[in-house]
Amino acid sequence: MADAGLLNVVLFLPLIGVASLVAVPALQDSAVRRLSLTVMVAQFLLSAWLYFHFDAAAEGLQFETRLPWIPAWGVYYQIGLDGYNVLLVLLTTFLGPLVVAGAFTAITKDVKLFYAMVFVLQFTMLGTFVAQDLFLFYLFWEAMLIPMFLIIGIWGGERRIYATLKFVLYTAFGSILMLAAVIYLVYSLNATTGITSFAFADLYRAELPLPVQTILLAAFGLSFAIKVPIVPLHTWLPDAHVEAPTAGSVVLAGVLLKMGTYGFMKLGFPLFPDATREFAPLIMALAVVSIIYGACLAWVQTDIKKIIAYSSISHLGYVMLGLISLDLIGIQGAIIQMVSHGIVAGGLFLMVGMVYERCHTRELAAYGGLAKLLPAYAVFFALLTLASIGLPTTSGFTGEFLVLLGAFNATWPQYQQGVTLPLLLSAGAVTGVVLGALYMLSFAQRFLFGPTKAPHQPVVDLNFREKAILGCIVVAIFTLGIFPAEPMSKTELAARQYQQLVASHRTGTTVALRTVEGAIVSRAEPPNLTTPTTTGSAR
Amino acid sequence: MSWQILFTAMLPEHILLAGMVVLIGLEIASLARVAFVVSVCVVTAATVAAVSLAATGYAMAPFPEQFSVAPDALLAKAIVLALAIPVLLISRDDFADAQFHILVIGSLYGVCLLLSADSFLILFLGIELMSLPVYVLVLLAFQRTQSAEAALKYLVLGGTATATLLMGAALLYGASGSLSLAAFAAALSSSDPMASVGVVLVIVAFFLKAAIAPFHTWAPDAYEGATVPVTAYMATIVKAGVLLAAVRLFGAEAVPRPMADLIALLPLASIVWGNLAAMRQQSFRRMIAYSSIAHAGYLFYAFLGDGPGRFQAVAFYVLAYGLMNVLAFASLPRAEDDTARDRLDNLKGLYQREPFAAVMIAIAMLSLAGIPPFPGFVAKFLIFRNVFAAGYTTYAVLGLIASYMGIYFYLRVIQYLFMSPEASVAQRPPYGRAVLSASFLCLLAVVAIAVFPGWVIGQF
Repeated sequence: MADAGLLNVVLFLPLIGVASLVAVPALQDSAVRRLSLTVMVAQFLLSAWLYFHFDAAAEGLQFETRLPWIPAWGVYYQIGLDGYNVLLVLLTTFLGPLVVAGAFTAITKDVKLFYAMVFVLQFTMLGTFVAQDLFLFYLFWEAMLIPMFLIIGIWGGERRIYATLKFVLYTAFGSILMLAAVIYLVYSLNATTGITSFAFADLYRAELPLPVQTILLAAFGLSFAIKVPIVPLHTWLPDAHVEAPTAGSVVLAGVLLKMGTYGFMKLGFPLFPDATREFAPLIMALAVVSIIYGACLAWVQTDIKKIIAYSSISHLGYVMLGLISLDLIGIQGAIIQMVSHGIVAGGLFLMVGMVYERCHTRELAAYGGLAKLLPAYAVFFALLTLASIGLPTTSGFTGEFLVLLGAFNATWPQYQQGVTLPLLLSAGAVTGVVLGALYMLSFAQRFLFGPTKAPHQPVVDLNFREKAILGCIVVAIFTLGIFPAEPMSKTELAARQYQQLVASHRTGTTVALRTVEGAIVSRAEPPNLTTPTTTGSAR
Repeated sequence: MSWQILFTAMLPEHILLAGMVVLIGLEIASLARVAFVVSVCVVTAATVAAVSLAATGYAMAPFPEQFSVAPDALLAKAIVLALAIPVLLISRDDFADAQFHILVIGSLYGVCLLLSADSFLILFLGIELMSLPVYVLVLLAFQRTQSAEAALKYLVLGGTATATLLMGAALLYGASGSLSLAAFAAALSSSDPMASVGVVLVIVAFFLKAAIAPFHTWAPDAYEGATVPVTAYMATIVKAGVLLAAVRLFGAEAVPRPMADLIALLPLASIVWGNLAAMRQQSFRRMIAYSSIAHAGYLFYAFLGDGPGRFQAVAFYVLAYGLMNVLAFASLPRAEDDTARDRLDNLKGLYQREPFAAVMIAIAMLSLAGIPPFPGFVAKFLIFRNVFAAGYTTYAVLGLIASYMGIYFYLRVIQYLFMSPEASVAQRPPYGRAVLSASFLCLLAVVAIAVFPGWVIGQF
């Protein structure tokens, strides 16, 4: 039980950080910074301990806490680690100290409020990942908007008010429909099984007719797709990214976007498996469109923050592709890609922030030949560029390669049965890799090489703090790129569970019809998961 | 009927009455400066009386068919009385004399009567006793011409509501031969046209009192014309009283279809219009008035559900909603005069000067917008859950989407608080101690509800 307590400590540590910031009114700005960094580092170390003690072979939740919260509704305060969230929790706590350290010199206004908001953000993000009860999940999911609204709105750039309102109003629209779907889902569960529960494990047993599943998937999916974001729901992202302060961009790209894909993996697809399989080609097409469209847009940007923002859309398209491929390798690749993108995009935004602090412009045309002016900076930037492209031995390679492999694994049998579109889509996704190399390399070439120019000369190269931050990121990139087997072993059971859940037939009364048609034998008793014997591709 | 029953069952009312007499005495004896302390103590004592009676499960009908108390009625009284305490606290700097307190306690007496009514006679008496002092309260800020206009508007529309209620009650009496509130619940599903018209008129009277579109037009003027404590009183206690009385009126029965559409469509219009109109207001109280119009819409949505969940939803909602409003009003910064204080511009850059107040207003706004983890979210969840449970899926989804429209103007306030440069540098008087204690009281309650919503819901 001490271990379960530790997860609670990790979750609530940021709030303790806020409390200590509020409790000591006379704190100097520098003391606030040191205190925040200490808390974040402590949180990372604790969550690393949790990661290493996470048993990859154990089924179910680990470090679980389950306390009644609103007993009348069957709402529990239930948190725990499983293969779905263990890597994402580690990613969140890994980026935490880097965000704090990265903002040391960039944030000089309302320092205390800033770190308090970063802590609240950290708390709500971790809460979203570890929550195992839909009510609790929704609470954290929605509460996350508040700190992000303030971070972009107070410390952002010129058009920060526009960007932050756009961000919140976009996201909140998805959430309100999700809320309707949540209540409806819980009521249907109650009506069909007699259980009143918000626990994920119970909700996986809900049996709903296909049209209902479709509507609910659309409601959940809209909310998640806005967060990912999937084209055409992505228009908030460039504004939010560009206007946010560096710390905001890093958290946004590093963690917040993963909420969407995590939501699809943990809730959207497994809760409504039949609708998911029905619309898998559409979702796959949207994922591929995101990959290619994001890459094309990134190619033509002149603002360096926008390049990375659009590249995020492209990279998260791979995650969606891996998840919807329903192939074990693809799913594993999607999880690795989430973590990889979190580290790489987080690192790139930190680097953009560093150069912005020195030169106060994000126009790509204003820069050139930084390799001569800032040699250390250029080395790190080149490494991150390569990781973003997905060069072997970097984490980007592992993720993208596995996703594409999974996609082909899943679509090839369909092609042999005469269904060509999925295979074509998978092939289309490969062009994203080429486009990725194209825009990132041309960006790096114009940025680092060519005639030397910078808006402010002389510019000072990276200091120790900045090198340390980037060093951590580079180490993480190569660790994940060279030794992907270890983290993948921790997520394997979850990937299998996800695959089974999405492959299961849970259409309630109409399941009998489908059994006749599809000759898939399902067990008779409704409350149990009717898991078909086939795995891999769903249909 | 023994005197003891009469004494115990009406204990909160008796305390209020005694307090009123004492306050009048103080006014005559020119001891008005202690009026504030006396009235806070009186309302606190009445709250304690109501809570402790409710906790023992006391149920009695001292005047059968007219006036009865049961734990839920006592809890409803306790909520209203408890909300009145911080309202009295924030009045400290605006109203130094006893008049204000006499009127507020008189109005609270009316609310208590209303929440125990079993017949239309007592209901009428309660509504009038509740409203009449408020007309005067609006006028108390007579430094401004708008308050006279606002009071007159409020009075005329309040009178219309009374007339409508009486007409409805008369028609119901004609149809059923009874003035008891049970006749209303029975008439809900009646096919007798006279009974149906009676029901509609009574509902319209409640819509008028609660400011449901299209009967809402008095609210923005009245809210803007009054002073801050009076607006807080109207937005929290009057609204809570009216809605809790409506729960008593409707009982726990499900509302049958044509009437259900009436109590879904107009509140829906109210949510939409309230949220849209609030977006362009420049006066804080006017914005809160439109927000209250929208919130009245959510509250009437609760009547689509049935059973004990209806009282639970309304009681929790008015508690959360009232706390948020008082918290926001308590934290409003002072300015050179009341009109300037009311401008939203007055909030610009508040975080730089008064971080605590800015955070309090932000919490209130986020909670009113229904963003978790604040109590407004659980309250809204409770209501929409009941609507879904009753099978009105379309209305529930439409209501939720309409509630989304409200997020923008609440965020705009937060934008003013945190993201805008300060508008003027005039010297501002600091917050009084009473006002700060009101903020702390509300904050404590808000945190308690946010952390233990299950416990609070379990009480209703």
